[in-house]
Amino acid sequence: MSWSRAGFSALILFFFFVVQESAISKIDFPISGFSLYLCVLLGLMALEDRFGAIAMGFIGGLILDLSPSSDSPFGKWALILTLVGYLFSRNRESIGDFTERPIAFVLFVSAGATATLLIFLIFGVILGENNGAVITNLQTVVGNGIWTLLFSSVLLPGLVALRNYTLTTRERL
Amino acid sequence: MAAGGNNRSRLLLVILLVTSLFLITLDLRGVSITKNSRSATQSLLAPIQRGVSDFFSPVGNFFSDVKNFGKTKAELKDLKSENAKLREKVIFNQDTNGQLNKLKGVLDLAGRGGYKVVSARVIGKGSSSTFSQIITIDAGTNDGVKKDMTVMGELGLVGVVKSTTPTSAIVLLMNDPTFRIGVRIARSQSVGVLMGEGDNTYTLQLLDPSGSIEVNDVLLSLGSDNNRPFVPGLPVGYVKSVKNTSATLTQEASVRSYSNLGSLGVVSVIIRVSNGGPKDALIPQPMPTPTTTIYVTQSPTPEATN
Repeated sequence: MSWSRAGFSALILFFFFVVQESAISKIDFPISGFSLYLCVLLGLMALEDRFGAIAMGFIGGLILDLSPSSDSPFGKWALILTLVGYLFSRNRESIGDFTERPIAFVLFVSAGATATLLIFLIFGVILGENNGAVITNLQTVVGNGIWTLLFSSVLLPGLVALRNYTLTTRERL
Repeated sequence: MAAGGNNRSRLLLVILLVTSLFLITLDLRGVSITKNSRSATQSLLAPIQRGVSDFFSPVGNFFSDVKNFGKTKAELKDLKSENAKLREKVIFNQDTNGQLNKLKGVLDLAGRGGYKVVSARVIGKGSSSTFSQIITIDAGTNDGVKKDMTVMGELGLVGVVKSTTPTSAIVLLMNDPTFRIGVRIARSQSVGVLMGEGDNTYTLQLLDPSGSIEVNDVLLSLGSDNNRPFVPGLPVGYVKSVKNTSATLTQEASVRSYSNLGSLGVVSVIIRVSNGGPKDALIPQPMPTPTTTIYVTQSPTPEATN
């Protein structure tokens, strides 16, 4: 992943972060809310190689740490998404190219979103944060997973196009 | 080549994990850079949220509207007949002209409590990925809103101001798991701590082991030094059920809040309290039971007229 592509990816992610914070979070989804930002980030991470997924996880985590609604320490999302990026890339290598297997992509991204939120909660417990009622948290995690499952299928073509657009000539070759 | 790439990835992973841990440590030690970065983001997002708020508010309730579509037809019929009855009542009841809207409700409560308030629109809600219950309002330091000020709705406490920018503020709602408030039971004057649980239920823990809690007991805010973060005497909620467990030293109760935190449109930030607060003036009054008065007029009997 080149510096220019990292910067461009960060800009794209920040755009989706703004959309999430100002618009998507206002929608009263049934079961629980949907994180478009996590869906896009994990989708882009799934299309990257190992180095790219780790770097994008860290960048995406830092942006999510900027969320004014977040009560957790700055850097927690960066830590979690860097780890998720690594785990993603490890598993992705065994699955193959996602662009040719959309169902695998959708399942992978929604499982990733669920796992990410669960890891976030577990890290919260480790850091001594009060996460509230377990049932409510599980509802949020499951709800987000279901919505990610539904929306990631719609987002896949856009994400592939977006990623191809950010590739440098050298990376295309 | 592949081994080289793997080593490079592992090195990057270690560097980034260490960097993240370093950032977490800085934040936990209270370094202002990390705190300020969130304030800067809030300043950036507030105008966008305000702009999107007008456009997005009809879309926000789309799913709940769709979910209730089936119910709506049956409800519509009931409501039509109910509406007809209510129309009749309106003609005879001049008091119904004074029905208050949400903002008026808030201002009314604030007025009775002697609170000087700044009213604000809710322009944002907390993201589901953060697990925290917050809202963003369109009033900030320019309007006199400061950190740790009490936020109220038309029926009582809503939350507390967590952070501010010149034009917006983030309010930590009372159902957030980290939310704690000292409360006083209006009936027995027992004091306890109310805790949010992330959903619509709250737990009240009495500080005094000999204190008493009963179902439907009204809870008022206890207040803080200089009225920050909490002003005294604001209705918080009522006791839904009392937990009788021998495992705890103090009594616990399940509480329901007066404010419906799911449908907040307008809230007020309490800027100042006059005359030491409202004491018990804001205790919600139970609805008066209508009494029937029968007048008996004796009609003249035929014998009496003769």
